[in-house]
Amino acid sequence: MPRPRERHPKLRVIGRSEILLEPIRERAKRDLGFDIEFELIDGMEGLQRVVTQPGSFDVYHQWHTIELIWTARSVQAIDLRRILHGDEIKSRAHAGRGNGRLIETVFDQLFLQPDGTLGSKASERIAMLPSIHGVDAFGFLAPVREVVGANTASWGWLLDPRFHGRTAIMSDPVLGMIEAALATEAAEGIAFADIGNLAIEEIDIVVELLLHKKKTGHFKGVWRNYEEAARLMQRGGVVLQSMFSPAVSMLRRNGIPITIADPAEGCRGWHADLCISVQTEGEALDAAYEYLNWWHDGWAGACLARQGYYSTFTERVRGYLEPEEWAYWYDGRPAEKVLNDPLGLPTIQPGESREGGSHMQRMLSVRVWNTFMDEHTYLVRRWKEFLDA
Amino acid sequence: MLANKPYYKAVRDVLAANIASGRLPEGTRLFTAAVADRLGISRPPARRALSLLEKEGVLRALDAKGFVVGKTQAAHAVTRNLHLLDLDLAGELTLKVGQASWERIFEQIEHDVMNCSPFGAYQISEAAVGELYKVSRTVVRDVLSRMQERGLITKDRSSHWIAGPLSARTLDEAHEVRRLLEPCALGGALQLLDRDDLIAMRARVRMTLESGGAPTQAAIDRLESDLHQTCIRPVRNRRLFDIIGRSQLANVINRLFGTYIGIHDESGMLSEHRLVFDHLILGDSVGAEAAMRHHLDADHTRARARLKVLSVFGNPEIAAYLVRVH
Repeated sequence: MPRPRERHPKLRVIGRSEILLEPIRERAKRDLGFDIEFELIDGMEGLQRVVTQPGSFDVYHQWHTIELIWTARSVQAIDLRRILHGDEIKSRAHAGRGNGRLIETVFDQLFLQPDGTLGSKASERIAMLPSIHGVDAFGFLAPVREVVGANTASWGWLLDPRFHGRTAIMSDPVLGMIEAALATEAAEGIAFADIGNLAIEEIDIVVELLLHKKKTGHFKGVWRNYEEAARLMQRGGVVLQSMFSPAVSMLRRNGIPITIADPAEGCRGWHADLCISVQTEGEALDAAYEYLNWWHDGWAGACLARQGYYSTFTERVRGYLEPEEWAYWYDGRPAEKVLNDPLGLPTIQPGESREGGSHMQRMLSVRVWNTFMDEHTYLVRRWKEFLDA
Repeated sequence: MLANKPYYKAVRDVLAANIASGRLPEGTRLFTAAVADRLGISRPPARRALSLLEKEGVLRALDAKGFVVGKTQAAHAVTRNLHLLDLDLAGELTLKVGQASWERIFEQIEHDVMNCSPFGAYQISEAAVGELYKVSRTVVRDVLSRMQERGLITKDRSSHWIAGPLSARTLDEAHEVRRLLEPCALGGALQLLDRDDLIAMRARVRMTLESGGAPTQAAIDRLESDLHQTCIRPVRNRRLFDIIGRSQLANVINRLFGTYIGIHDESGMLSEHRLVFDHLILGDSVGAEAAMRHHLDADHTRARARLKVLSVFGNPEIAAYLVRVH
């Protein structure tokens, strides 16, 4: 293995465990020739650290926090002229249609505007480098089908008394609240005005229902990351729960045939992007730009495609995927051979095809994007009440 | 500290000082009602202060007919119109004249509550407030009831007093009230504002802008107080002034953001302030009102974004009588 060059200090990257995979770190280190450290932050403490100690990282692989971290001035503007193929990002923003339309939300708060705020009008500076996106729904095991029959999946199942004591939900307040709201709508037969931006009373309705359910033992668990989610289904007796794609790969690899729902109410979309700390400068800043450019080149996006994540610049990734992989993950076609996960372990068997179809079809199912709601302060306090109950 | 001394003791001190200085001459007959009337206070603290002075030997009791200053015998006591005496009422008592017990601690508790509510929901312990400010539970309940009337705190189902959490909606509502009232108050106050003062205030804004970089919190406090208090205060309608003061929640958020996250570029706020002063100095009330409205809207947008950032914080330092619920 080539020895890392001495010119850079160690590049410190922080983000969620689903994104910062060891194969990505190793490959980046090898390709770039300097040391890279991945630090996993899955909880609220992570975000608190990002806004209060921007000196403690160089690159933050953010998801749905850009508004907050920009307000807090934790990250610096990225100079598009220093990004290889940076023009793609601008032209994509100009287009705003076609394939781009599905993930328009990525571009809503991307470019630095003359007044210092973020907007969709293209400029030479961006707050984050778009990398990946995806769509999530809940997952379930065979016993659920036996109960519900052939009916179309519904978020209401998460709160269905028939699965009492055998369901789980994630602990993240932003994502958890969105999923709980989708479930509440379906279970209670109500409609929220804007499920991506709940009012105080609507938050109360959801939390009161969750509290009642939790106190009566409806939930078997509340998980923090994909590994905990996988464990709950593997050994915890959970048959239906919130799901992240890496947990799906992990479970299938271990012989547990989990199904990802394609719920009637639509799914929850997300995107993750690369940001540079406001305090990173000099050689560390050069290293950060190199890392961003390496990411944008596509290898990392291809690696994460193998656990179901889509690259925001798909064509950059395609070259790093085998045709069979592209056919399965992006085109939604049945696997023509055994496909491996990001760690190189066989996960998808020939003949299997992905629930929800192709990239475009699946992104079209997005009903709501991960977002900090206007009443996030209120939401997070009530959510904590649910977690502590 | 003022708040730590019982009110009747402050009354006692004022009377004792006036007796010592001779302003309240030896031999003067003192009745509770007359003393209370002269000092502009209620009777109970006057009565307690007089009894205390009697115990100390400064006054002598006159069987059911009040007291007399010094050792004078009842027969020689002189009845004087206390209003004709040149008493020295400066100092502590002046601050407290006409002020009930609850008023003395209201402002501090209001400050504590406002500063905790963006971080979550807190339960207020009546006992702890009483202990901290050395006041009775009755007074504490009085304060808290009044805060509840103003919508600053609520009572939960178990009858606990709850402060916060401050929601985006609360901020929106406060902003809506403020943008209706504050520009009008400013326009109304313009005639009563001193032009030289306005020029000095604008100079402070300009200096901060020109010096570049991030201003200190103290500098920001000064600028905010210039525009949002000094320039509004002359307005004759006190009710208007009070409502505006209670609606300035954005300032609370901005200040907390400065404390917890830090102050960065404030050029937006500074330019907006400068524009308002430009209009005020020209005597253009319509322009000043429009510029103020623009500033309030922009500030509201900033405060909304900052409130979200504050939501990620766990346990900020707050008063000991506020116990976090969520």
